[in-house]
Amino acid sequence: MVSLYEAAVLALLAGGVFFGIVAAVGLLRMPDLYTRAHAASKADTLGSGLSLAAAAVVFGSGLPTVKTVLLLVFLFITNPTAAHAISRAAADQGIEPWTTEDGGDDG
Amino acid sequence: MALIRTFHEHHDNSDCCQLSSGRARPVGGPAARDCGGPTVTGERLLVPVSESSTLRNTVAYAVRNAVEGENRYDAVHFVSPASRRIAGEEYVESARELLDRVEVWAGEDLGEDDPDLTVETALIGVDAYLFSPGDYVELLAGYAEDNGIGSVLLDPEFNPGQNTPLLPPLEAELDGAGFSVETAPVERGTRRERLVRRASLGQFVLLAGLSYGFYLLIGGSLAAFDLVTGAISAGIVATVLWRISLTGPVRPGRLLARIARMLVYTPYLLYEIVVANLAIAYVVLHPSLPIDPEVVEFDAAVWSELPVTTLANSITLTPGTLTVDVTRQHFVVHTLTEGARDDLLDGGLERAVRFVFYGRAAARGPGPRERGDDGGEDS
Amino acid sequence: MTLIADALLAAAAAFIVLSVVIVYRIVRGPTMQDRVIAVNVVGTNTVVIIALFAAALDSPGVLDIALVYALLNFLMSIAISKFTVERGGVM
Repeated sequence: MVSLYEAAVLALLAGGVFFGIVAAVGLLRMPDLYTRAHAASKADTLGSGLSLAAAAVVFGSGLPTVKTVLLLVFLFITNPTAAHAISRAAADQGIEPWTTEDGGDDG
Repeated sequence: MALIRTFHEHHDNSDCCQLSSGRARPVGGPAARDCGGPTVTGERLLVPVSESSTLRNTVAYAVRNAVEGENRYDAVHFVSPASRRIAGEEYVESARELLDRVEVWAGEDLGEDDPDLTVETALIGVDAYLFSPGDYVELLAGYAEDNGIGSVLLDPEFNPGQNTPLLPPLEAELDGAGFSVETAPVERGTRRERLVRRASLGQFVLLAGLSYGFYLLIGGSLAAFDLVTGAISAGIVATVLWRISLTGPVRPGRLLARIARMLVYTPYLLYEIVVANLAIAYVVLHPSLPIDPEVVEFDAAVWSELPVTTLANSITLTPGTLTVDVTRQHFVVHTLTEGARDDLLDGGLERAVRFVFYGRAAARGPGPRERGDDGGEDS
Repeated sequence: MTLIADALLAAAAAFIVLSVVIVYRIVRGPTMQDRVIAVNVVGTNTVVIIALFAAALDSPGVLDIALVYALLNFLMSIAISKFTVERGGVM
């Protein structure tokens, strides 16, 4: 019999892995740097966030949980910042965003 | 003494020497009006200037080069393109001050001995629409023609009020328009703002407290050894970084209010993030990859660093939008889908951030679209 | 408890597989920034993997490694973005 606690952990893990897959697929499928950054910054943040939440639930209460939550908050702050820094660097180097008019396949 | 002449007021009123529109005159075409400016004798040098970290050195180089260089120049014209229509009255005002500074610098560089050099400064394009490098080239070419100038010296950091790198295309286009173009060989600074700021004791205490708390949390014990080493570490960190990490004075009351409102904001942000991710998941996993990416720009009604950072990060985390560049409060955002663009310009997130930092009253203000900012779409 | 431990390990394994898949993007590029984004994602995945292992094996000390790794990962992204730009003007 699966308890509520186990169900919560399993659901969080499933969600985490799902969004991890979305991030990886997006990273491979998207046509250019900026759209890939979308996939990386959003899906990966939520994917890792859900997985870390699962880990936090497993730890129960106490210091390890606090650390896991700290890790989670840290990822939520740094991931978008890193994506922003990278895309800004790309924009500074004059890499043009892909638009639908460009058409064609991914590069 | 060298002749230093200023055209500020003169040009500001878009009289005959002033190009009223950057688009009005074709590059290299005949001057529409002759303004009876200074008569054309000898070589003149045009130096477009804007606020930059290398400006001082560029001015020095221009003056030295004009007086002692291989090709001597009779006159150096420092011009500052500043469009009231695009950048606003404030920017024009700062450009005017900049020209005053340039004039003083040029005077210093010329020194007491009397080189035969005329220095002029002018504010141009006040009433023009300046968007692309082409617009700047038209404006500069028009000015050069009116004043019989054949050479242009560029500041390596020249970038009048825009984020897009302007220099390489500008250089190419000016070259194409028949000018001899040179970029001043001066050191490129990397730091535009001062890193170290004035700070108060409140900042020191707050930073030391945060570091101490973090140290004890990671250490996970309250033994005497940890308390002492933690205090020492926090002291070192705060001493080194207290004037860098935190900006602005610390007001405990306001800080607590912000933290409380941040706690209200977080669930909203989490909800937005989940929605964003489901949208992304749909787009990414859909077989035909239904995306329509576009870059939009808008000015957010938030001020100072922390709110702008919060908004930028929130934008990156939420539906199909990714902050590419922020200068002050001007956001350049890459949007993945049509729906994401609409949500962004409706300004829900922006209102939420204003709520966190400025309270409930500010949250009711209009979003970017209602302020008449339709995203100024960039190609 | 073994069900939970197994699930955590399975999730960690899934993240490992995903990281290996993303290596394709690191190798392929085509631009420097593409690679940085991909490396950043692999780094984030690594942090998650470490944390999941810590939970599955019930060894909280490992979490400190994850924290340090997360810090390093962020610094790497910022440093590379900063120094791939000619003017060094990012941040």
